[in-house]
Amino acid sequence: MTRHSDPASPKAACGRDSVRIVPVWDPLVRAVHWLLAATILVNGLLSDPESDLHETLGYVALGLLVLRLGWGLIGPRPARLASFPPYPLRALHHLRAVLTGDRTVHLTHNPLGALMVWNIWGSLGIIIATGIMMGTRRFFGVDWVEEVHEAMFDWLLLSVVLHVGGVIFDSRRSGVPLVRAMIDGRKRIPADAPIE
Amino acid sequence: MRLTPLIGHLRRQRAAMLSVVIVLQAICATFFLIDVIEDFLEPDDGRLHVELEVLAVLGLCAGVVILLYELRDMLARIDSMDRGIRAARGDMSDLIEAFFAAWALTPSEREVATLVLKGFDNEAIAGLRGVAVGTVRAQTARIYAKAGIDGRAQLFSVFMEELLADPADRSPAPGDDGSRRSAP
Repeated sequence: MTRHSDPASPKAACGRDSVRIVPVWDPLVRAVHWLLAATILVNGLLSDPESDLHETLGYVALGLLVLRLGWGLIGPRPARLASFPPYPLRALHHLRAVLTGDRTVHLTHNPLGALMVWNIWGSLGIIIATGIMMGTRRFFGVDWVEEVHEAMFDWLLLSVVLHVGGVIFDSRRSGVPLVRAMIDGRKRIPADAPIE
Repeated sequence: MRLTPLIGHLRRQRAAMLSVVIVLQAICATFFLIDVIEDFLEPDDGRLHVELEVLAVLGLCAGVVILLYELRDMLARIDSMDRGIRAARGDMSDLIEAFFAAWALTPSEREVATLVLKGFDNEAIAGLRGVAVGTVRAQTARIYAKAGIDGRAQLFSVFMEELLADPADRSPAPGDDGSRRSAP
């Protein structure tokens, strides 16, 4: 890193040298993330399940999810699905490393976060599918469809709480403000932290 | 006044706008698709109506995919511009370091010389470093003497000449006698 050390600029450089700013999340990823969060919040906690709004937001979530998966195939590297495969074993290793004080910063999702992404998308997919089924003649009033829809929503809510908890924990552990990174797309990584 | 951050900012804004349009269009496409499927399962309009809707859905989806590729290219261009500027910046600071080393500047002279290159005048440098203006004046005089140049303007031209030189006859490294500018 010798080329970035700039001994002769006492004041101008200190802001740049103590933090590395790396653009990670592109605007599409961020838009989908926050809109999806909003649809989950409104549909899960605010809207009347029988209402048109509930159904409409369910379709919006479907559109966002499909769009995100498509972007995950052709988008830039951090957005690619292949960049964060759901490997439970790797997540366990990561968890162990974190608990023993590892401060490695992951440029995209860390292995635990990757698992959570797939978990949330998967739960959401099941909720949307059963939600649409409830509106069809064939499955209208069928008990198990409704039960799966509601059970998966409880699971999704728990996942979201874990996701937020994980973000707060990892921001403190690594010193990277992760919420801010999902807002303006840039990770501010402490200069001394190892990057993976 | 640095211009590249502004250009980068404008491009990032366009990428953000394109993303919003893509999201809206994808949501529209979803609604049309659902509508088509409903019409298909419970037809109460004519076949032509359904066929037109299918065409509209296909058009919307094609639009989304094309815009996604467009967005990807735009983001790649932003990225490569950032990279290019960073690489040039690194090369520039390497070049400056090499010249300073060749002129055998002391650490404090290097700091002063860098501040001169950043456009600070002697008073400002004295303020930044917490020393008297006379000290800075003496330091800059020593720097110019070691580099074999007349003053501030020539210090810039040393580096500009190196950057604008024809690659074919570009001198590989700063002169080892440290006084190439003093030649007539």
